[in-house]
This record gives sequence, C-alpha cells and structure tokens, in this order.
Amino acid sequence: MSFVSVENLQKNYGSTAVFSDINCEIHKGEFVTLLGPSGCGKSTLLRCIAGLTSVTSGRIFLDGKDLVPVSPQKRGIGMVFQSYALFPNMNVEQNVAFGLRMQKVSTDEMKQRVAEVLKLVELNEFASRYPHQLSGGQCQRVALARSLVTRPRLLLLDEPLSALDARIRKHLREQIRAIQQELGLTTIFVTHDQEEALTMSDRIFLMNQGRIVQSGDAETLYTAPVDAFAAGFIGNYNLLEADAASRLMQRPINSRVAIRPEAIQLSLTGSLEGEVRSHSLLGNVIRYRVEARGVELVVDVLNRSASDLHPNGQRVTLHIEASALCEVA
Amino acid sequence: MSRAERRPPGLYHRVVVYLLFLILLAPLLGTFVYSIATSWSATILPDGLTYKWYVALWSDPRFLRAFGQSLLVCVGALALSVVLILPLLFVVHYHFPKLDALMNILILLPFAVPPVVSSVGLLQLYGSGPLAMVGTPWILIGCYFTVALPFMYRAITNNLQAINLVDLMDAAQLLGANTFQAAFLVVLPNLRKGLMIALLLSFSFLFGEFVFANLLVGTRYETLQVYLNNMRNSSGHFNSALVISYFFFVLLLTWAANRLNKDKD
Repeated sequence: MSFVSVENLQKNYGSTAVFSDINCEIHKGEFVTLLGPSGCGKSTLLRCIAGLTSVTSGRIFLDGKDLVPVSPQKRGIGMVFQSYALFPNMNVEQNVAFGLRMQKVSTDEMKQRVAEVLKLVELNEFASRYPHQLSGGQCQRVALARSLVTRPRLLLLDEPLSALDARIRKHLREQIRAIQQELGLTTIFVTHDQEEALTMSDRIFLMNQGRIVQSGDAETLYTAPVDAFAAGFIGNYNLLEADAASRLMQRPINSRVAIRPEAIQLSLTGSLEGEVRSHSLLGNVIRYRVEARGVELVVDVLNRSASDLHPNGQRVTLHIEASALCEVA
Repeated sequence: MSRAERRPPGLYHRVVVYLLFLILLAPLLGTFVYSIATSWSATILPDGLTYKWYVALWSDPRFLRAFGQSLLVCVGALALSVVLILPLLFVVHYHFPKLDALMNILILLPFAVPPVVSSVGLLQLYGSGPLAMVGTPWILIGCYFTVALPFMYRAITNNLQAINLVDLMDAAQLLGANTFQAAFLVVLPNLRKGLMIALLLSFSFLFGEFVFANLLVGTRYETLQVYLNNMRNSSGHFNSALVISYFFFVLLLTWAANRLNKDKD
C-alpha cells in the first residue's frame, strides 16, 4: 500500500480551477518530483498537502489517515520554502530548535537533536549566527535542518534551490538527495527545472495546466514523452507534424512525432541529405540546425574535436533510426 | 560602484550640506542663546548669561503638570494605537491583503481634513450627550489616535512587507506553532524596528500638537503646547527655555530609542 495517496484532489479559486482530478500514489521512502512550468498548480498542490491551502474536494492520505481535516500543525509534515522563511530574530540554533520548542521537548534532548541535525547539514559551526549573516545556500541548509529536526513523516520541498546560484544549487541538490536517502524520508520536491527533476527523483510527476500529464521514472519521461507538451518540456525534442515527418522519413506517418536531437546521427555519407544552417557550442555538445527535405531539425553531436565541426552551409547526411521516432498525441 | 571606490565629496557638496545644517540649526541656536541670556535686545550679543529662566521653568508647578499631562495623553494615544493597529495590520496583511489599498486611503483622512475643521465636528459630536468628552483628556487620546494612525500604519506596513509575513507564518505553523504563538514569537519581534520608528515619529508629532489640544480641551487639561500658548505674554527668555527643554526632551527620547533599536550583531 502506498504511503501518501492523493485522490481526486481539486482546488478552485472562485470559479477557476488551479488543478482538478489529481491522483497520485507515493511509496514510503520515495523521492518524487512535481515538475512543470510556473502556474501549472504544482506549488498549490504542495501547499494543499501541507495544509497551508484548503482543498475544494478530494482526499489526501498519509499512512492511511485522511489529512484534509487535520490542521497543518498536526500533520507531521516538514516543509522547505523557496524564500527559506528563516526567523530573522533567531539564530541558527534557535531557528532549528523552534519546532522542538513547540513540541515541548526537554532542553537536553532539544540540544542534542539540534546538534545532530546541524551536523547532518554541515552547519554545526554556525549555530550562533543569525540568518542575515549566512549565504543563501547556508540559509537553505538551516531551513532543511529546521524541518528535519522534528522528524516529519513527509518532507515537502517547494523550489528550494531556485534562489541559489548554479554551483551551490548543484552541490545542495546532491546533499539533499544524500540526506533523504540516509534518512529514508518520503519526499515531495517541486521544481520547474527538468535537470533537477531528472537527476534527483525516483519518480517524476509532470504537470501542466492543473493536471498530471505523465508520471514515471526519469528514464521513461525522457525517452517516451506521451504528448507534445512533455516532449517540449523535457529535453529539446524536435516536434514534427505528420506531413513533415512523412516527407522526412519518406513513408506515411499518421501522427505527430518527437525525435530527440541526440538520436539523429550526422555524417558525410548516408541516405538522408541535408545542409547545416547554423551551429552553437554548448560545451561538451555541439547543437546544429540542419535542413533536410524542407524540415529543420535540431541535432546534438558530442563535441569530440575541433576538426569534426561542420561549418554552416556544409552538405551533410543524417541517419535516423526508426525507433528514435516517438509518436506523441 | 562600492562606497570604498568613491572619490571624497567635493567642496560644493560639502558646502551644500553645511549650509543646510546651518539653516536648520540657526533658529534653534538663537533660541538657545536667548534662553540663557539675562537680556538681549539692542546688542549683537546678549548682555550676560544665566540659568534663571530654566530654574524658573522647572520649578513652575503649572509647567510640570502640563508636561506630565502631555506625556500622559501622548503615551495613552500611542498605547491605544499599538493595541488596535498591530492586530489590524496583521490581519490585513495575512488574511486580506487586498484591503491594504482601502486602508491606504483611509489612513490619509486625518491629513485630508484640517484639524480646525475636524475639531468643530468633534466638538459637536462629543460636546454633549452620552459621549460628552470635550474638556477631558479622553477626547485628546481618541483624537491623537487618529492622528498617529497614518504614521503607525505606514511604518509597520513597510516592515511587514520586508519580512515576508506569509512564509514566516506558514513555516512557524508547520513547525507546530498556533497562530498566536507564530505571531508573538516570530512576527512581532521582527516588527520591532518599524514599531519603534512609528512610535517615535508619532510621539514627536503629538507632543508638539496644539490645535486639537487647544480647541478640544484648552486649559481644562493643559498640555505643553497650550501652556506655551498661554505663557506667550510672559518673558520671551522664559518661553525660549521652554522650547529648548521640549526640544532636548524629544532629542533624548530619539537617542534612547535608537540605542534600544540597535541590532544585536
């Protein structure tokens, strides 16, 4: 039986639905991500699970118990916010201890548990600092420690990395995942960043316009998008209408297809002729725009050496495996 | 560009600043010198210096009573506004953020109606009947509450917007705090700065208020400014001593509030 289960959840603001018909199951110890563009309802869904926003209809079960009538204080859920939401008037230790203070835990136990969790996020040296004396990454680790110290049954992370710079984001991503696995903590992570979702999650729920469009592990989501939205949001898929796809492959194709840019091979000899329109260097990958049979395709090639580069205007041939064509709705 | 890289201010900039200080301080300095002068009329400098005006002022029981009464009315009005406005602001910003626009118009009303005009209305309303308060300090406390409202509301609103109220409340509640605990332990301590500024501004303003005090209460509950007005026919030296005493009291209060408000780094 699943640990968290959301059934027919719906949230309206006035007459407009933020999301409707949300159904999902999350297993104990699983790290799942709600991925989607801004405004798709993912953060509101998270707030509904936390109890910070009321739901219009539907039920949320945590360990077999319906959470909807339970107040946020009593749900046993920890949450980390994009804005950190650290209490500016308290130092790191007091911030982390706040939840234990509310639970009236004894002073000795409080001290010990705060020290433990600060060690876990590698901030034990910073216990007496105030939030304004910390960097963004440190603030978010304090926020993580504060939500972990009460030993929540479920951890919610609402775009916790979005306000941080790239290098720290990457490091903290790994740290969060390591801590989550060490504690075996069931976690729901909200992000609009596909790379974060793909690298961190056991399972991803892809959301768009208030619905879960597709769910599955990173591999499935990346290689088998169910529709044009999924193909467009994850990876840089070439999306072709049926007639363009038929012309390109020279066989009848009845639906739209998506082709991953790295699934197209580029060489100087082959059957499908094309011409390089432009190219850009993305570091380890060179991204070409190639026109073939009146269709413009994005092709990613590993950047092996400078001599391999095809200049703009060069005639090239393409090879596309039939299995690389992914039919989408 | 960081501050360290900046060139030192040029002569022109410094002259502007000093000139401004001079213009602001000159009348104060004049008043101060006059308040310690034995007599100063047809000469450039006073004839002699003396403390006697201050001694006379601070040993006048009528002055001491007016001073205490002013203090009482101001503190009363500010206490009332803290008790009423803090919860109001909290509710507006946490539950009904859209009401902020309406509140911004409402708080301008005390400024929109000149005190001379609103006094007439207040005299009509509270002059007789079940709420006959004219001539008592109570009407001043109520009236000063409305005068302090804009200062209190704006300063605390700015502070509230700076602390990300909703996220702080949410975080506190998820950690097990009820609304009161979250408000008292998390939000209130972070409003200290805005509250101090609001109180200080309002206090300085109310302590010097004359029109309402004179029209609504007058000599029946004499405040400092009314006392000053009633003493206008006595010695100018004596009045100068009063003004300077009043000024230093406000200055001292400002300094003390700033000291209390320093960040504990």
